[in-house]
Amino acid sequence: MKKSIYLSLMAFVFFGCETNITPDLDTAEKILVVDAWINQKMERQEIRVTRSQSYFDNSVPTKITNATVTVEDLTSGVLYNFQEGSTSYYWDPVAAPFGEVGHNYRLTVRSQGETFEAFSNLGRVPAVDSILFKFKPAEIIIKEEYYLGEFMAKDPVGVGDAYWIKAWKNGVFLGKPAELNMAYDAGFSAGQPVDGQEFLIPIRNGFTNPMDKIEGKQNEFIPPYSVGDSLYIEIHSINPLAFDFLYGVYFQIARSGGFSELFAMPLTNSSTNLKSTNKNSITNVAGFFNVAAVSSRGLKLTQEIANEAKLNAD
Amino acid sequence: MKSISLGALCSLAALCSFGQEKYTVSGYIKDTGNGEALIGATVFVKEISNGTIANVYGFYSITLVKGTYNIVYRYVGFKDVNQKIELDKDIRLDLELTSAEKQLDEVVIMGDAIDKNVLSIEMSTAELDIKAIGKLPAFAGEVDIIKSIQLLPGVSTVGEGASGFNVRGGSVGQNLVLLDEAPVYQTSHMLGFFSVFNPDAVKDVKLFKGGIPAQYGGRLSSILDVRMKEGNNKEFDVTGGLGTIFSRLAVEGPIKKDKSSFIIAARRSYGDVLAKLFTDALKPGSALYFYDLTAKTNFDINKNNKIYLSGYFGRDVFKFTKYQGLDWGNSTATFRWNHLYGNRLFSNYSVFYSNYDYGLSLGTSELDKYDWKSKIKTYNFKPEYSYFINAKNELTFGGQAILYRFEPANAVTVSNGTITDISLDERKAFETSLYAGNDQRLTDQLSVQYGLRYSNFNYLGGIVYHYGDTLKGMEKPLEYTEEKKEWESIQSFGNFEPRASFRYQLTKTASIKGSYNRMSQYLHLISNTTASIPIDVWQPSTNNIKPQQSDQVALGYFKNFKENRYETSAEVYYKWNRNQLEYIDGAEIFINKFLESQLLSGIGRAYGLELYAKKNSGRLTGWASYTLGKSEMKVDGINYGVDQKNREGTWYPTRFDQRHNIKVAAFYDLNKKISFSANFSFITGTPSTFPTDRITVAGYVIPYIRGSERNNFRIPNYHRLDVAVTFNNIWRGKKGRTGEDNLVVSIYNVYARKNPFSIYFSQGTTRQPGDIPTVTSATQLSIIGTMIPSVTYNFKF
Repeated sequence: MKKSIYLSLMAFVFFGCETNITPDLDTAEKILVVDAWINQKMERQEIRVTRSQSYFDNSVPTKITNATVTVEDLTSGVLYNFQEGSTSYYWDPVAAPFGEVGHNYRLTVRSQGETFEAFSNLGRVPAVDSILFKFKPAEIIIKEEYYLGEFMAKDPVGVGDAYWIKAWKNGVFLGKPAELNMAYDAGFSAGQPVDGQEFLIPIRNGFTNPMDKIEGKQNEFIPPYSVGDSLYIEIHSINPLAFDFLYGVYFQIARSGGFSELFAMPLTNSSTNLKSTNKNSITNVAGFFNVAAVSSRGLKLTQEIANEAKLNAD
Repeated sequence: MKSISLGALCSLAALCSFGQEKYTVSGYIKDTGNGEALIGATVFVKEISNGTIANVYGFYSITLVKGTYNIVYRYVGFKDVNQKIELDKDIRLDLELTSAEKQLDEVVIMGDAIDKNVLSIEMSTAELDIKAIGKLPAFAGEVDIIKSIQLLPGVSTVGEGASGFNVRGGSVGQNLVLLDEAPVYQTSHMLGFFSVFNPDAVKDVKLFKGGIPAQYGGRLSSILDVRMKEGNNKEFDVTGGLGTIFSRLAVEGPIKKDKSSFIIAARRSYGDVLAKLFTDALKPGSALYFYDLTAKTNFDINKNNKIYLSGYFGRDVFKFTKYQGLDWGNSTATFRWNHLYGNRLFSNYSVFYSNYDYGLSLGTSELDKYDWKSKIKTYNFKPEYSYFINAKNELTFGGQAILYRFEPANAVTVSNGTITDISLDERKAFETSLYAGNDQRLTDQLSVQYGLRYSNFNYLGGIVYHYGDTLKGMEKPLEYTEEKKEWESIQSFGNFEPRASFRYQLTKTASIKGSYNRMSQYLHLISNTTASIPIDVWQPSTNNIKPQQSDQVALGYFKNFKENRYETSAEVYYKWNRNQLEYIDGAEIFINKFLESQLLSGIGRAYGLELYAKKNSGRLTGWASYTLGKSEMKVDGINYGVDQKNREGTWYPTRFDQRHNIKVAAFYDLNKKISFSANFSFITGTPSTFPTDRITVAGYVIPYIRGSERNNFRIPNYHRLDVAVTFNNIWRGKKGRTGEDNLVVSIYNVYARKNPFSIYFSQGTTRQPGDIPTVTSATQLSIIGTMIPSVTYNFKF
């Protein structure tokens, strides 16, 4: 919701300017970071245990070695041991994916004498029913005919579901901060319940269309989709706390500049569900643990689909 | 009632000089040129070296012992009127002063030999001369009241484009802006670039920063009292202007000469009209404009009764397509009745209504859209009395009753044809207040003003949310809800707000003044962003949100030089604020029925020094001001350092904490034809939160701040010079042409400084490849990064 407000404010005419600078920052704290987003895809599941870096340190964070990382299914009692690899701790699914929908999980990370825990429930996820392309004529910022990609999916009845929707164009993940797309039930947040129906339109099409500038042009963009392009969507179920985490992160990282900075919120630390098992610990830890069920669908924009979209254009 | 009887008691003490026969001279003071009341004109009785000041309706009353008196009527920029009166009966003396500009064929505009700033008990107030505002170089050439008051000491803004203003380290939502007494909730057009007040229709602007008299209340930081013109009751006038962003037109004139008049003033921007000529980029259904309409009329029924009716209606519309965009607007209506009981008790009864509403739409079609409308309506009744007891005492008393109706969200979502109503319940509140205050002259040197205001706030009817406790700074868990009847009281608050000030005259040209005031604020502007935004939500105090409170003391020294040619003042102030609002990280402040669970409460303090010097006459006039200030907050759950368990907050600077603030405004009249003006601002960079670390989670690089610090850095300093030249009587001044006109050529930001608005940290907006580490950087943003020239043509006939 708020995300969409800021998107619309960005459209104001802007005659300011922006300069890259490198201010001297305070010394980094280099805290423990646990990046544990596990899902039911039949691929290697990785948990990264690292330290934070100085803000301008543009290197890959190095793994903390010799940690013990386990995830326990608290409903069934199954224990998943994560092996130490070169960049992360991992678990490979063999015949079945990780976990079961509805079960609760506990992550345990033991490192340098201290133990940290986090909990997550594996939530349900609706199927992606279809992917559509809508025809748009050329306009001022996209100077040729183009297509907008959109997906259809229906939130199941019952409040409290949350989702992280990821999109790929031609196999490239739409991972710009501004493309971070979440839904709480079918709507924007818990405080404005929209349940048991198709996701609201900004969720279905607002973050699935990449807006990339044409190199060397100030205000001209590559068409989001043209004939031959493909759109692939995944919906990951997330816990309400993980939704809050991503929601907070969005405002910290999606800084589009210009007028939207008038309405920027103060920088704050993102939340975490990791806690030390020692109640008196004052060790700072960051990161998040979530286990997700995943649904997906992809579609290539063929000439036929394009022709039909053009016919149906309003 | 308590407060009234207390006030009455205070004044009784002063009524001890019976025995001699006393009579009253009273009346209205007006401008000969147009019949407008002269607010704040002074009435000086030479024999007692004292006098009184005309109130906001131009009425004065002074009661003296029988005798012969020489009375001087004065008003800045007007010729003095000397009256010798034989006071052996009550005398009604309405009179008109003549503008010095017209009388004396010279270029002096800004002042007369008036030592009001030294003599008056008022401190921490600022009045703006509309004529002076008109000469200031302005952004896009458009004279603006809110921008002009930012040139005064103690008043600032967080940057270009930001709505509203900050007073003595307070937030935008802590200012009460009144237009003919009706509250204006949003003072901006086009984000913060222009304000809603049409200068052609404004007569008087007064800002109270401290020493706030008992008749005002409801906000912590300031009261901006804007009074509209009544309209020329002698002849018809048409004024207007053609500018680069918008045009203005105002018509005023008598309905019945000297008895009744009207004014209608309108403005509209035409960016959209021009854009449509040059490009077809604006989609069907799109609109980009703002307009406002200000109107007022008054009737002089008889000597003892006058009525006024005024209204404002304005709107901003930004529609990108038929289904996407936002709009906002204020409307106000005020009816006032001035009635005189005898010649010493002046009364005014005001009934007014104010409405602020906005809407936001997102979507692509009737089947897929999101519509949100919100409004706040205020119904108000306000009786006020001034009792001019004698030359030494003026008692004011009255009250106010306000009904607020908040509609935070009338909202629907339509998804693939399925409609869901996500509206929030209406919230209602009833605020009442009673006040009494007395202005008393104890000795020739010492005057005091003291008063008491009692305010009461009742949050009424609907669903009540009860939240439990949790870790500081985190969202509070909902425990249960209950439903109250529509007009049943859910929570009520009552507060006594004492006010006091003194003035001690050291010499004829110097005085010291001090003041104390307590303010209570029951409405809260929910805003967690750098600048306030038109769709920010106003929220009443509830069972979960306590009213804000503030205590302020101020002390000042006032001195004039060279027969009042130069005015100077120095003031120090200290403010203690309680129940200040903050927000949990990632708070959802729009359409959230659990909003109150995401609010935090803390304390604040602000203190500073304000220096001001003004040159009133000569070819070169103007002022310079300097403010040294500090504004801080302390909230548990914010800026708590390394103690993750207790999370007790420590003091941090607010977003509008600006250490040094220098403003200079200068006007130079070369000759009758050409005049120059310039203004310069220097403001210490505002605080901002800079990260120390970056963490990588879920594929995103997220900033992290060691010790959860807030506002730990400052952006670079802000400074800017604007200049303007005014050419008078370009066309109208010629022979055979009546009226006047001028052409103002102005340049905003002359040396094109790229003043920073903010510095933000991000991984950029370009797509970074997934296989190499994400690059993060810092960006310094200037909202206006260049100089902006403009031309405006103003006319009057």
